[in-house]
Amino acid sequence: MKKPVLRVFSFFFFLTKRSRRTRVFFFFSFLPVLISLVFKMDQVFKATSASVMPTFTSIILLFELQFLILILALFFGTSICSEDIEGKTLSYITTRPVSKPAIVVGKYLAYTLITILMAGAGTIFSFLILNAERLLQPSLYLELFRALAVLSLGLMTYNAFFTFFGAVFRRAIFFGLIFGFGWENVIQYFPGSTQRFTIVHYLKSLLPYSGSKVSILTFRLEPTAPGLAVLALFLITAVFLGLACLVFSWKQDIPED
Amino acid sequence: MTAVIETRSLSKWYGNVLGLSDVSLSIEPGVIGLLGPNGAGKSTFLKLITGQLKPSIGGARVFGQIIWNNPKLFSRIGFCPEADAFFEDLTGWEFLVNLLRLHGFPGAEAKRRSERALEIVELVKDKDRLIRAYSRGMRQRLKFAQAIAHDPEVIILDEPMSGLDPLGKRKFIRLIRDYRGEGRTIIVSSHVLPEIEALTKNIILIHQGKILATGDIHDVRELIERHPHIISLRVSDRRRLAGRLVKEDFILDVRFEKRPDTLVIETRQRDKFFSLLPALVLEEQIEVEEITSPDDNLQAVFDYLVGK
Repeated sequence: MKKPVLRVFSFFFFLTKRSRRTRVFFFFSFLPVLISLVFKMDQVFKATSASVMPTFTSIILLFELQFLILILALFFGTSICSEDIEGKTLSYITTRPVSKPAIVVGKYLAYTLITILMAGAGTIFSFLILNAERLLQPSLYLELFRALAVLSLGLMTYNAFFTFFGAVFRRAIFFGLIFGFGWENVIQYFPGSTQRFTIVHYLKSLLPYSGSKVSILTFRLEPTAPGLAVLALFLITAVFLGLACLVFSWKQDIPED
Repeated sequence: MTAVIETRSLSKWYGNVLGLSDVSLSIEPGVIGLLGPNGAGKSTFLKLITGQLKPSIGGARVFGQIIWNNPKLFSRIGFCPEADAFFEDLTGWEFLVNLLRLHGFPGAEAKRRSERALEIVELVKDKDRLIRAYSRGMRQRLKFAQAIAHDPEVIILDEPMSGLDPLGKRKFIRLIRDYRGEGRTIIVSSHVLPEIEALTKNIILIHQGKILATGDIHDVRELIERHPHIISLRVSDRRRLAGRLVKEDFILDVRFEKRPDTLVIETRQRDKFFSLLPALVLEEQIEVEEITSPDDNLQAVFDYLVGK
């Protein structure tokens, strides 16, 4: 299956690079750069030299983890199993010597890489803007690396989860929105082990936690050990991607009339 | 000759709706026309024999193997879908090369085959244009190109001429005729008899999900000759044309439609009518805007066959 997966990956990576949707979301993923610019200009005009790392962590926590990667994964992940059915291009793919699970995995890898590149580019530029005066400090880059790793893991997991949504639901985006901005946002404010039923919990467990207040609710993260969190994210990815492959294997290209 | 495609009691339901019922067929190499009105089950049949649909009952085999979830067989099958859908952000060239890469052809071989397929469908000079900028005829030809680029033994074309103008249809018919090589199996579906007639003598007649007849197209033609053809004409002076047509003994009926420029005629000798018409309109200096002959009265044949 390895070679067909790579063939599908190459096809959809090439196709997605060229799509209008990618261009739109690429600009969208540069919003953190705008936020960083505003913050930096404010800092320059006020002539303060406070640490910018809490701001960077907030951008990662509040904007990227809880908004940007959810939106990216929602639109790219749900489309993996549904866009070719809706766009009536499925027969071009399914009438090739490539199995249906290989199609799902190949597309998933292509879309995950594209979304990681999109979110990663915005994050790197934000980081460079915020740390413009300290770019020669090697320790700072560890923070950047950690942020990029968490975002990549997040996109890997959410994309797999939403791939499954796209394979199962007709209105996958609607259900994805409920999950992403309902469940994921609400459950994490619950104390105890309930927050372990969200993906974002494991992602936040990998970031430095300052016990900050978010909105009117006090967010108390009870982090999972980093190794266990990474394992949980990989497990969720494998389970939902496997289920998506299984569902897609039984998908049929039903004629309209 | 050995059957390339075999179906046994092949049936498909979409919930309570019947798509195809109890079809048992053996298809041998050659060009076969799948003829039936819209919604007859042509696309369902073609999707079942290309493994895009799972049979509700029965099964379909290609080269002796079950086709459902058997992707290896697709190195020997080419499929041209009915839907006018593409990856619009690609050029014709990129579309073909990438689909050939999915077959596992290395880069250079994929390019060589794409070039060859584009030559066959006469799209070489437009290969670097985005597909979204292609005309309907070019899109149909590109669909055909992707079905033949990997040189398959079985080529399945679902309504390949729908939406094409008469010139485009003629080009397309010539294209398929030129392409039918030795030992290849080509199945072409259509709801227009003359399209199929121009391609092959062997037909499968399908109606309401059932195979009504298989065999020689001349038998169908004979059946059609027994039923009057209805031809609708939009002309600049319908009264003058009607006046000339009623004098002809092979014209059974002439009537005016509500539209002020439309004339409907009935005849049993369609070919005679079409050979007379050009001379008539030239003589009377009548402008003809449109001629339609929907389904070429196939519906009457189907009604006859099902005993209505």
